[in-house]
Amino acid sequence: MNMGIDLTVNGDHLTSTSDPVTPLVDVLREEFHLTGAKPVCREGFCGACMVLIDGDPTPSCLVPAALANGCDIRTVEGLAANGGLNPIQAALEACDAVQCGMCFPGMVVSLTHLVSTRPDATREDIRAALTGNICRCTGYERIIEAALLALATA
Amino acid sequence: MERRLTDQTESSDAMQAPASRSVYIAPSLPAALDALDEGGAAAAPFAGGTWIMRAPIRHEPLKSLYVAIGKIPELRAIKVDADAVEVGAAVTHAALAATLAELAEFDVLTAAASRSANPAIRTMATIGGNLATTAFAAADCVPALLCLDADVEIASRGGPERTSLERFLTMRSTLAPGRLLHRIIVPRRGRRTVHARLPLRQAGDYPTAIVSLAVSLDEAGHVRTARVAVGSVEPVARRWQRLEHALVGHPLNAAKATDAAAELAGEFTGRDSPDVPAWYRVRVLPALVRRAVAALGSGAVGDEHGH
Ligand SMILES: Cc1cc2nc3c(=O)[nH]c(=O)nc-3n(C[C@H](O)[C@H](O)[C@H](O)COP(=O)(O)OP(=O)(O)OC[C@H]3O[C@@H](n4cnc5c(N)ncnc54)[C@H](O)[C@@H]3O)c2cc1C
Ligand code: FES
Ligand code: FES
Repeated sequence: MNMGIDLTVNGDHLTSTSDPVTPLVDVLREEFHLTGAKPVCREGFCGACMVLIDGDPTPSCLVPAALANGCDIRTVEGLAANGGLNPIQAALEACDAVQCGMCFPGMVVSLTHLVSTRPDATREDIRAALTGNICRCTGYERIIEAALLALATA
Repeated sequence: MERRLTDQTESSDAMQAPASRSVYIAPSLPAALDALDEGGAAAAPFAGGTWIMRAPIRHEPLKSLYVAIGKIPELRAIKVDADAVEVGAAVTHAALAATLAELAEFDVLTAAASRSANPAIRTMATIGGNLATTAFAAADCVPALLCLDADVEIASRGGPERTSLERFLTMRSTLAPGRLLHRIIVPRRGRRTVHARLPLRQAGDYPTAIVSLAVSLDEAGHVRTARVAVGSVEPVARRWQRLEHALVGHPLNAAKATDAAAELAGEFTGRDSPDVPAWYRVRVLPALVRRAVAALGSGAVGDEHGH
């Protein structure tokens, strides 16, 4: 018996027929072809698979499909504002923060949440918010500058 | 009883396959206990999932039935009374830290809950999952709750059973099917408490070693009672009673406590792992004791956030 798992992904109502313990990141990528979220560590350490579930940043490698049933999910593909870049996306581009880009879908998800929920976040708050987003290229400084810029201009 | 049962006979990932897996989202504690009882050894509670979902990485099979307990209101409740705090097993680390933040006597537990893992994991991982995971030696809340003399209540169809956390740690791996950690009961004794942990890198890492400390002082400023618990060094966290005895009756003094810890640390047999050799976990204990005792004077301790 498979009742199907109902999800709202970036505003679209979708049904998954996957095994209920399948990690959400695999449903998003393999069933719905949304390849922004990346399964890099599958352990909750790296943040490359981060999505917003009912508004909260969540590593989608650790969420079984069945528990995402009925949830509102936003992936990096669904974060642009009215077809344009959102404030953190624009700031990351302006600060030339991206290198290889592997971590960025997750960075954008975590920082979109930070910018929209903590307008008074400090540099330390940004660093703390990114402890679950590992970047092997940038050394984080430009990412933090971009977050501060987005906060200042949002 | 209506159950929201999602299952399917074929796994999308043949590597992980048992033939059929299901997740039952329990609406209430009795419903969860019924499902666990009926599922027997093939079933397990699913709390935050942050340990269970990593089973494939540990080359462990998944269970064929998971009973999700994260939506059960009484398991998500925290009750703060004059003489005890009761924490539902499905309370997340983030919720626990937020609720206890203003209660100084629980600084050790607030620190354990708010410094472990990373922000997103702390909104998922639960206190019950932290205490129930036998194979996880680095659990922060275990030593924190040991030094607070916590009890746990186990629920089953046969009724509740209360026992000390210390005893629970010896029986958790053989907890009979159908039994569930219901809540943690922490007495309020107005003690001064602190959690000192050493991750390898500054952020997001498992702690190499943990020292949790709770003391009460008499009017002269001498230690009247002391509880010290050590986590992550051995496979299961435990109290360090000889160090407790060494502290009692003396003023709190970081240098003297460090010396005592250095003398007594030989009673620990560190666990080996690819990232940290066994001897190192034991070697850092005196320094963690120093940080813990010193922080009881100054108020701040532990590792920092951020990369
Ligand atoms: C990247 C990362 C870093 C982490 N760092 C730390 C850290 O530094 N310190 C720390 O303490 N933790 C840390 N954790 C969390 C820790 O490793 C465990 O994953 C977590 O404690 C498990 O809690 P859970 O609620 O997710 O449990 P689950 O994964 O849901 O369950 C774990 C086990 O407990 C059983 N279980 C769960 N709830 C109950 C219950 N109420 N009664 C009986 N059995 C139950 C389950 O059946 C399963 O066997 C980290 C996790 C991740 C992913
Ligand atoms: S793949 Fe999910 S956190 Fe790394
Ligand atoms: S830009 Fe390469 S990992 Fe972050």
